[in-house]
Amino acid sequence: METAVLLPPAPADTATRFRQALRADRENTLTQLYRQAFPAVRTYVQQHGGTASEAQDVFQDAVVILYEKAVAGTLHLTAAPATYLLAVARNRWRQELARRRRRPHTALHDDDLQLPDPEPEPTPLPVLDYVSQLSEKCRSILLSFYYFREPLEQIAATHDYRSVRSATVQKFKCLERLRNAVRQALR
Amino acid sequence: MRPELERLQRIEHYLLEPGSAPRETLWAARQLLDPALRPDMEAQQLVYRGLQVAGRRQLQQELSAIHGRLYGGTRQPRRWLQQAAAALQQLRRQLSRRG
Repeated sequence: METAVLLPPAPADTATRFRQALRADRENTLTQLYRQAFPAVRTYVQQHGGTASEAQDVFQDAVVILYEKAVAGTLHLTAAPATYLLAVARNRWRQELARRRRRPHTALHDDDLQLPDPEPEPTPLPVLDYVSQLSEKCRSILLSFYYFREPLEQIAATHDYRSVRSATVQKFKCLERLRNAVRQALR
Repeated sequence: MRPELERLQRIEHYLLEPGSAPRETLWAARQLLDPALRPDMEAQQLVYRGLQVAGRRQLQQELSAIHGRLYGGTRQPRRWLQQAAAALQQLRRQLSRRG
């Protein structure tokens, strides 16, 4: 992954390149981003009444927002991803400080996060339990496709399927297992 | 693909891809003809939500691992508190149903 993708100035197709980089090598892309952007977020949070641990929370939440928008194709970057991340994290921390002034003596709270699709807590059914009960292969295929938005070609290659067609069939078999477990619980 | 998987695929297209008015009409008709379709769709919708939540948690774990590699140290994720609260809430509901 080219470091230039993450640093300013941002060319017009940065969001597309960033999305491709995330899909091709998530760990390396996120590590580069972390290395570049986190120190500035930590400094900002610590200079504004927060701890290193709170900076970590705010930063990671900002990365989740960035990630989900990037892979969904809804990210519109006018600056480099690291700059965007710093802006989101600063905004989150300012909101957190404002919340604390209203409700002092409470810690950073997930309720106050504005993640793109708010996490239902608790999940209506123990769907998460069923996800964790899937085989490692099924869980990996489903999360790679539905959350991490990896292309099926990549999923097929990662899981040693001879064709995209085979990977697609396996994906639906895994989905069927999960769906049947949920249907059973709904009865 | 066997017919059951093709049915899953059709429901997936309906749920995850933007629809048109004629397609909505077609699906309304299908639901009238197939009483099992609606519960299947509802279950499948829950599955997609669950995968979204599970994926987000995995991403958060991956980020914590990256943090540990770059800066050292591990810590309890703060979400443990919420998960514990959710489990307690679920238990409370189960107990109140029994009572």
